[in-house]
Amino acid sequence: MVSFAVPASGEDPFHEAVEPLLEKLCYECHGPETQKGDIRLDSLPREYTHAETWHDALDQLNRGEMPPRKATQPSAEELNVLTSGLNAFLREAAAAKRAEGGRVEARRLTRYEYNNTMRDLLGIEYDFANELPPEPASPDGFLNNGNTLEISPTQIETYLKVARRGLAIAIPDPSLEEAKTYRYQQSETALGYLPNRNDGGHAPVQPEYILDVPEFPREGKFRVTITAKLANPDGADFPKMVVSMGHVPGIIHVPRKTIGEAELSSMEPETFTFTGRMEDFPLMGLIPFGRSGFKGQIVMVDFVNADGGQLRYPDHRYAVKPPQPKKGQKAQPKPPTPKPFGSRLEIEVVEAEFVGPIVETSLLSLEEPEAAIRNFAGRAFRRTVNDAEVAPYLSLFETLKAEEKMPLIEALRETCAAILVSPHFLYRAEGSGAENAANYQLASRLSYLFWSTMPDEELFALAKEGTLTEEQVLTEQIDRLLSDPRSEEFVSRFADQWLGLDGLDRVAVDPNTFPDFKESLKHDLRGEVHAVFSEVLKNDLSMLELLDSDWSMMNRNLAKHYGLSGPRSASFERVSLPANSPRGGLLGHGAFHLTGSNGDESHPIKRAVWILDRLLDAPPASPPPDTPELDSENPDFSKLTLKQQLEAHREKESCNNCHRNIDPWGLALENFDPLGSWRESDSINTTLPDGNEIVGVEDLKNYLLENRRSWYARSVVRRLMAFSYGRSLDVGDHEVVDALNDTFAEEGYRLRPLLVALLSNEVAANR
Amino acid sequence: MARFRPISRRAALKGAGVTLALPWMEAMMVEGKAAARVASPKRFCAIQFPFGVAMPKDGTPDRPWGWFPMGEGGKGKPVELSNPLRPLEPVLDDVTIFSGLSHPRCRTMNGHDTGDIFLTANNLAKVTYRNTISLDQHIAGKIGEQTRHASLTLSTDGGVGPRTRTTTLSYNADGQPIPALADPKLIFQRLFAQDKASRDDMKKLESSGSILDLVMDQSRSLRSQIGRADQQKLDEYETSVREVEQRVERARDWVNVPLPEVDADSLTLEVTPESPKEYLTAIYDLLYLSFQTDLTRVATYQVGSMGPSRARNFPQSIDIKGDWHSLAHGAGKKGGAEKMGRFDEFMTAQLVRFLTRLRDTQEGDSNLLDTTQVLYGSSNSKTHVNRNFPLLLAGGSKLGHQHGSYLRFSEKVPMSNLFVSILQAMGLEDESFVDSTGPLEGLS
Repeated sequence: MVSFAVPASGEDPFHEAVEPLLEKLCYECHGPETQKGDIRLDSLPREYTHAETWHDALDQLNRGEMPPRKATQPSAEELNVLTSGLNAFLREAAAAKRAEGGRVEARRLTRYEYNNTMRDLLGIEYDFANELPPEPASPDGFLNNGNTLEISPTQIETYLKVARRGLAIAIPDPSLEEAKTYRYQQSETALGYLPNRNDGGHAPVQPEYILDVPEFPREGKFRVTITAKLANPDGADFPKMVVSMGHVPGIIHVPRKTIGEAELSSMEPETFTFTGRMEDFPLMGLIPFGRSGFKGQIVMVDFVNADGGQLRYPDHRYAVKPPQPKKGQKAQPKPPTPKPFGSRLEIEVVEAEFVGPIVETSLLSLEEPEAAIRNFAGRAFRRTVNDAEVAPYLSLFETLKAEEKMPLIEALRETCAAILVSPHFLYRAEGSGAENAANYQLASRLSYLFWSTMPDEELFALAKEGTLTEEQVLTEQIDRLLSDPRSEEFVSRFADQWLGLDGLDRVAVDPNTFPDFKESLKHDLRGEVHAVFSEVLKNDLSMLELLDSDWSMMNRNLAKHYGLSGPRSASFERVSLPANSPRGGLLGHGAFHLTGSNGDESHPIKRAVWILDRLLDAPPASPPPDTPELDSENPDFSKLTLKQQLEAHREKESCNNCHRNIDPWGLALENFDPLGSWRESDSINTTLPDGNEIVGVEDLKNYLLENRRSWYARSVVRRLMAFSYGRSLDVGDHEVVDALNDTFAEEGYRLRPLLVALLSNEVAANR
Repeated sequence: MARFRPISRRAALKGAGVTLALPWMEAMMVEGKAAARVASPKRFCAIQFPFGVAMPKDGTPDRPWGWFPMGEGGKGKPVELSNPLRPLEPVLDDVTIFSGLSHPRCRTMNGHDTGDIFLTANNLAKVTYRNTISLDQHIAGKIGEQTRHASLTLSTDGGVGPRTRTTTLSYNADGQPIPALADPKLIFQRLFAQDKASRDDMKKLESSGSILDLVMDQSRSLRSQIGRADQQKLDEYETSVREVEQRVERARDWVNVPLPEVDADSLTLEVTPESPKEYLTAIYDLLYLSFQTDLTRVATYQVGSMGPSRARNFPQSIDIKGDWHSLAHGAGKKGGAEKMGRFDEFMTAQLVRFLTRLRDTQEGDSNLLDTTQVLYGSSNSKTHVNRNFPLLLAGGSKLGHQHGSYLRFSEKVPMSNLFVSILQAMGLEDESFVDSTGPLEGLS
């Protein structure tokens, strides 16, 4: 077996294997005797300040320009050691450089953190982040990286706008009108001529049940209540209602947005409540437009089976009166005969109701506005505020009332809006408070890490007491937060960002290759990863279960997709896997096979990069400039199998330097097609960079568990640290990485002890 | 006073999306201050697409699917359009197609990194990936005062995206990317602010000023309590607040100028990139409207980033198998050029619809296209290759351009020479841009 001398992440990149190679290959021309091109490498400091020169050196190595053809050439293995070492060094240099002069601690709230925080602070449901620009991921895949999170004028404008809108809702005018209620019996619903072809990005609209809302509020909260039951006791699985709102046909399509959905599992009527805000939904324009005579909003209920397929009458007809023909036009066809609803369907709607606008109880008291402002500022800044800090806000409040002649309620809202664009709210700067700063800082660390939102009352209370930083209290709180359903935020955010699951949204599955594919499968595939991660966290299992396990989490659709049976529901449940099943562990998850494809064919290189980057924290370098295309000149090339094509690729020396270390990891997974279904493949025999020969996914799992366990563990530690700190790791973190890594291994690779150690360490470091 | 070609109500509703547009000249008369908006408007719009085009060799059966015109080209010579650019035929008198141009400083960049520098012409700083100001923002810095919005930045993906795969074409004077808007409905609201909430916000300009003053003080006092890196982040915050203060100031100048009335219902705004044709139509309509109503004179639209863009699925809309990236990679394979070429043709057709609308809109004694320069192209020729960008410039005949040719250049001529020509046609006094060696020859 060939020794594999590439440094694991966190080791000194210029470790003993790199230096002798530099001497052997480079110093003859770039050493003490000669300095071709004015470059001298032996004395070039191994420091980040000289990263650019090292960057050039790496580029030249990668492009095969150095060493020059006449000089001694490195073996493939040597080149790999050298380039990997330089790569690791440059990654660290990049992180250090980005942190220039220090680390970003007071990072801005992310879009989703902002949304959740506004929700909890104002106590209202509203799509606060809708107009904020999407955020880029950091080089290591995280959205909460303080360096990557920039701010722009557009954002400041949007924060102010959204704050004003939110406050107008949370502090309503006392004079607001009463809500209107519309009640429905199932036979009363009727509406016609909905489009049934795909257009404008909207799927055909063929709901089974429609609520007309002729006079609707243009803003404000609304509530839809639907009482329904299962109509068919013998169904193989539980059907769903999908409730959406939009307006009657525009020119070509029905703009609508889902309010919510509910699975039906009982023959007894159950009542489901859905709420939303009118302004978040497509509304009929002020000047009504379109083909239908109906000028109101419509709430649509689609019945969907567990596969996501629409449940429909065999001879579906709406109970409808079509629009009357205009003068001079041909009469419309005869109205279709109304059919009773629900009789042959899986779901029966018993009754339904629409109520809106619902006025919120005021968040702040108008009786004592000064106290209200002070209290609001403290909650918004997530710490105590002193008189001096509140003073400017109180004076703004007075000015607005006196000089701008603003009514009290309006001045109060505007003052709170100022609080909501303050850097103390938008940035995580709780440590800047005077009193119990470390405690308040920790309260927010915990709540943003596990719930992606501001601290709750209990965390605030402990911070105020100053006891949160005590080890016992901290441990209890970590347990409490992780046991709370809100910790699903941590599960989904961390899993999505660590494992790059957003990639699922960007794969276009080719409908010609996979005619049966439904978009809902992506949702289930993502759900599988979340559910497995959640199960590991909830039961404090070893993170090695993500590499291989004899169980997985599935819902009915996913089990069916994988050719297994069991779950009846759309919710995920734990299933024991048959002995020969490849589904245990992330490498068996379709989410990863699909993101590692182009939607038509599997893409072994993408899959390999995913393993190297996300699981082993050893991402390969980006392709160099002017990367040649695969053998396009050779007409026979496209006839080769994928494995042969990749082999041809690797025969080119310029490609092979990198790809011999990449491709094998992905080829081992060729048994999975783009959707993750099992298939036969003759490409799965492959040789890993260290000379180990493996066959297929089982070997790869075993290899990772046995030969790369420490890489994987370190990767989990590092990614978790980066996510928790909200920044990329740098050289200064190596010691902590090592210490946490030891704890992680000692504790059987369980996340909870790791999280406790990570957060305790921060407390200690801040002290 | 300008004469306006009468538009039938049907055309107004279906075509323009404007019922009661308020063109620039009338606006000028409404508000005395706006009289500074002298002369006739000169406009600039840049559109970039990712991954390059099909480039089969001359003489091969696939050659008609190559993007670049055939033959030697040359000033005043007839242009032999190949299939992907065939839709340009009706507007060819207003278009010049270029080959050979690229940004010399970017040739050594990674193949998919050059989306960032299409309009900046500069290599990204190593390690920090800092960029420099983009052409559109350079222009907006000089003429932005004249309109309600200094510029408009759009992209299919929205936001700024990660460095080297940014989802915007626009960079400010500090090289910081400017977030792009992506959702047609939000773009419409931002431009034409029809809803009640937006109007209420406009009414609060006075208190906005006070609020921004206050938070600026807050930021300054926070500085003393945090580390150096955090202070740099606060610089960003303060720069942004200051910019918003300026915008508020400007909004005050405009508060009495009524917004142009535009009929939203004749636009299809509830579209997503999942149906590219409708989406592109909406984006081009919004670009058209923002020029036509003179809300801005500078705009950019990035069709797709070279990262994991939502635009990768565009080819499927015309039933072409595979995503854009793999289409581009496969353009050299058997049958690949045709696939890529058919898609390029579709994209050209969308552009031409926009150009035609500009040309068909009368303004004074000419039309909108004559005073609007539209730069269209990619920063890859073939995928991964940062040379010989496929580029065309449309419009601006009244600004000094002589169109209707296919101009071929050697690699020695930087694309920024074209930028200099664009700047000069905008009436600006710039002699250079980044690595330019002068204006581009053959365009005037």
